[in-house]
Amino acid sequence: MADILTPPTERLDGFDPSAVLEEPLWRIRLRLSWRSFRKNWALFSDNKMGIVGILIIALFGIMALAHPVLMATVWQDHLEGGKNVYDIRAGADSIIVTKTIVEEVTDPVTQISQIEAMFLGTGVSIPEIGDTIEAPLANPAPPVLSGVDHPHILGTDPFGGDVFSQLLFGARAAFLLGAIAALSSVALATLVGTIAAYFGGVIDTLLMRLADLVILIPLLPLLIVVSGFWNVELTMLGILIGVLGGLGGTAIILKSQALSVKVKPFIDAARIAGGGHWRIITRHIIPNVLPLSFLYMMFAVTGAIFTEAALSFLGLLNIQQSWGIMINIAHTQGYTLEGLDVWWLMLPAGLSITLFSAGFFLVGRAMDEVVNPRLRKR
Amino acid sequence: MAQTLHIESRGGRVGTPLLEVQNLVMHYGTKEGEVSAVDNVSFTLNNGEAIGLVGESGCGKTSVALTLLRLLPDNSVIKGGDIKLDGESLIDLDEEQMRRRRWRDISMVFQGAMNSWNPVYRIGDQIREALRLHWPETLTYQEETDRIGALFELVGLNPVTMERYPHEFSGGMRQRAVIAMALSCNPKVIIADEPTTALDVIVQDQILRELKKIQQELGMSIIYISHDIAVIAEVTERMGVMYAGKLVELGSTLEVFHRPRHPYSYLLLSSTPSITGPRRKLAPLEGEPPNLLNPPTGCRFHPRCPFAIDKCSSEEPGLVEVGEGHSVACWNWQEVPEIGGLQK
Amino acid sequence: MLKYIAKRFGQIFILFYVFLALLFLLLDLQPGDISQQFVGNPNIPPEAKEIMVRQLGLDQPKIVQLGNHLWNYSFGMDMGVSWSSYPREVSDILFSALPRTVFLFLTATVMSFWLGFYTGKLVAWRRGTFIEKSAMVTSIFFWTVFYPWFAILMLWFFASQLGWFPIGKFISVEKWIGAPYAADDVFMLMLGTIALVTLVYGVARYVIDRSSDDPQTRRNFHRLALWSLAGIAGAFWAFSARRTYAGDILWHTFVPVLTLTLVNFAGTTLLTRSSMLETLREDYILTARAKGVPERTIRDRHAARNAMLPVTTSLVLQLAVVIAGGVITEQIFSWPGLGRALLGAITAEDIPVAMGALALIGILSLLAHLVADITYAFLDPRIRVQG
Ligand SMILES: Nc1ncnc2c1ncn2[C@@H]1O[C@H](COP(=O)(O)OP(=O)(O)OP(=O)(O)O)[C@@H](O)[C@H]1O
Ligand code: SF4
Ligand SMILES: [Mg+2]
Repeated sequence: MADILTPPTERLDGFDPSAVLEEPLWRIRLRLSWRSFRKNWALFSDNKMGIVGILIIALFGIMALAHPVLMATVWQDHLEGGKNVYDIRAGADSIIVTKTIVEEVTDPVTQISQIEAMFLGTGVSIPEIGDTIEAPLANPAPPVLSGVDHPHILGTDPFGGDVFSQLLFGARAAFLLGAIAALSSVALATLVGTIAAYFGGVIDTLLMRLADLVILIPLLPLLIVVSGFWNVELTMLGILIGVLGGLGGTAIILKSQALSVKVKPFIDAARIAGGGHWRIITRHIIPNVLPLSFLYMMFAVTGAIFTEAALSFLGLLNIQQSWGIMINIAHTQGYTLEGLDVWWLMLPAGLSITLFSAGFFLVGRAMDEVVNPRLRKR
Repeated sequence: MAQTLHIESRGGRVGTPLLEVQNLVMHYGTKEGEVSAVDNVSFTLNNGEAIGLVGESGCGKTSVALTLLRLLPDNSVIKGGDIKLDGESLIDLDEEQMRRRRWRDISMVFQGAMNSWNPVYRIGDQIREALRLHWPETLTYQEETDRIGALFELVGLNPVTMERYPHEFSGGMRQRAVIAMALSCNPKVIIADEPTTALDVIVQDQILRELKKIQQELGMSIIYISHDIAVIAEVTERMGVMYAGKLVELGSTLEVFHRPRHPYSYLLLSSTPSITGPRRKLAPLEGEPPNLLNPPTGCRFHPRCPFAIDKCSSEEPGLVEVGEGHSVACWNWQEVPEIGGLQK
Repeated sequence: MLKYIAKRFGQIFILFYVFLALLFLLLDLQPGDISQQFVGNPNIPPEAKEIMVRQLGLDQPKIVQLGNHLWNYSFGMDMGVSWSSYPREVSDILFSALPRTVFLFLTATVMSFWLGFYTGKLVAWRRGTFIEKSAMVTSIFFWTVFYPWFAILMLWFFASQLGWFPIGKFISVEKWIGAPYAADDVFMLMLGTIALVTLVYGVARYVIDRSSDDPQTRRNFHRLALWSLAGIAGAFWAFSARRTYAGDILWHTFVPVLTLTLVNFAGTTLLTRSSMLETLREDYILTARAKGVPERTIRDRHAARNAMLPVTTSLVLQLAVVIAGGVITEQIFSWPGLGRALLGAITAEDIPVAMGALALIGILSLLAHLVADITYAFLDPRIRVQG
């Protein structure tokens, strides 16, 4: 308070400008961004949901890292018939036997219930009691928390694969896919948005009509067709989702943000100072659009994970292992209606997909409140 | 028929007290602490009178207005004081009783009245809504339409435009329509919070002059709120000067302009060239308004006051009468020089 | 208004052709080129090959092929012949599936919009309360839940655990043996009833609005019209001989519609809540309060009415979610609609059916977009009056 009373000239005394200039520019930048980070973090951490989201993501991060570590250490020597029981593909080549359809299953090796048979069947006719059907031999094993000879803490899938190991591996796949999709989508959207905003005119019109079209294309059905025609694996899928997502709605939103930056005086200043188009775009516009881009990255992850899991669930992708595939296996092997009786087949995977999406969604929402002040409480 | 067309003030005999505000204290609760936005404000509005409230942005003018209507946001607390309309306390009313008073007894023209219209309904229908809620008898649709037409004519709008949507009105037209709506239920008091700030100077002037005419013809009681001292000078008879949530000076407009007694009023007036002729750079108003989260001790103006004495930082001055109906809250008011008055 | 609609219509029309061209590109890009694929595929009957050659004009230049493709898919109404269930025409297969998909999509969308809007409105109004918080957590759960898993759980719960509803499918075949009506006909009649009631109600509303100025009277008459129409339609079905069959179809629709509704409704709730929160800060809400408008009226007639505008626009962005949900619903509940046709065709490598289904789903999405645009124009006087 007292400082206000001192005339400005006096306040300048003892102020040595060279002291500031001696500090390298990068350190000033660093300090400034650290300061704004702290301010934004304070706003972000106001939102409990955002913190929950970060915790969820961290949990999955640990899971993803744990898989290779466990494989190399604790799980290393659990061999069974020359195969590691924790290998995500162990037992994938399960033995198919002929089973009789019965009302009440007493011997799971030779018998199968009508409902399970229905899901195994072609769907053309309802399987009758007494008929026979080709079915996998193995049954899912329930979780066993201790015991050296049966160490599956989340049980096994119908083929004998360890559910816990698959779950950890699924986290890795999810992060990989999410990262590829989110980065490619937002990079593209930022570029398209800023270019459309900066140049305007025909370029703008073309890019925005393209965005309209992409919004209108039903993504999942299109990807279903694409995965029917081509052999789609994880990286390819990530890029595909990224490109389709990045050209659509996100590009439009980032364009309007870029437009509001473009009309700011410092852009004119940069132009007068002789900055080329590219330099102005990369140095001045994009850095100001970036916070919003980062926000949409979070939502892009949510979308990508859903799409991957849905396609995996439908059995259309060529990927090694993922949460979607875990549910797909349980579903196609006829455990759909067993519900919570064989909970370890679908519940861990289903919950993981849900929580993983929710984590990014919550972080995205909390960031939205930081970036977009209109949403704040007061 | 004639009754529904009659636009008037339902206040009492001119000159008698209508709205009495006594020692009003209002705080906003925020995460950082309590914002003392209205602190011990007292004034009286007489029937048929126009009074003004001026002060820098953020000094609590809108907060006073919202408190009078009890329209405050959820985080606010009325800590004390009383508001009496025709001798009846508004603070004691329950929410439903207060709701019936709003617009019928006290109506308001809001700061940024341009956005006061709901974009999806016709202007006429929005005024109709007020009539339906508050007119003592049930009116027929035609009677409502006639009354709205009469109101439109009074504020200089063509009655056929009541069928339009807000986006089809210009800013000035919207503002006039807001005034028509404020008059619709023949209120006792109108509060006009920055009624013309968003308009260009010419329209601003027209509307102010019309407002003043309407006020005088109908004997309406109006509280004008503005940070623009020129507006207050043009339309009010008495005025109060607010600083950091406090009323620091209260007196007749002519007198305050002629001889402000509070250092803040003095600085405010002397730094406004349009009124007092060429700007006199006696002592410019320096510094920033205080943070109301923890206002300065003693006189809230002391960090910026060129007339401050020792006592100012520790003891708070109360409002004291310094002349006929002119009071001021300052320890050192005698030192404040004359300014030369109002050139209308 | 008309100009606006015409403009949007034109845009959608153009987009439709661009979309079709894109489909052609997809066909053309696929590995090994379509001509090779279908010539080399032993599963395709030779008659189908001939039809394909004629239809695609495979001996002609690409640009002519594209032209044929566009013509066949729009004015020709000819999408070729199925490879897996030869000699059925693709349009025959798909058009019989179309009403079922439209029904699923429409009921779920309308119900989820209505429910979601209502909840979102209340939730925003009660900001900070326990109700708001629990509603938010529930909505976020439904919005992010892995839909196929959730659908399986619903199926398990309602069909297997409770046994109240059938395990998927459109009808219970055994009930229809010897039935005097075809399932599709009964279903179409049901759809027709709904369409008729909606249409007559719309006309009635228009007439009522024209003949009365008083909002309260109007509202009463709207309600009267709606209830009497619903009564008449209900009575018609109650006395119809098709009653039990219609009941069977309805019984099968319940769980799929509920599942799809639950998931979409969460999205609308979240959208409405934030839109409503923004609206509540508008100046005109403060004006309404100052006017002494009762709180309920402020919430419903002032805030919610405006909050609806952005929700309607965002609905288009949510469309992708609804369509994806629809495809998965059809798969899990064995609901014989377009999505299931698409998946079946992909598994059977039946390219004509897959392309046709994708095209039809695209058209549905375009139409939904158009409907949302027109609704928006009706709701917003800034477009209705001027555009
Ligand atoms: N809802 C609120 N919560 C917390 N503080 C508030 C709230 N509304 C206003 N304030 C604070 O109260 C003080 C007075 O605000 P008010 O709007 O009454 O000022 P004003 O004199 O009308 O200013 P202006 O001329 O800018 O309209 C300001 O410091 C403001 O920051
Ligand atoms: S009391 Fe003191 S500080 Fe306050 S206005 Fe008067 S002279 Fe200035
Ligand atoms: Mg104000």
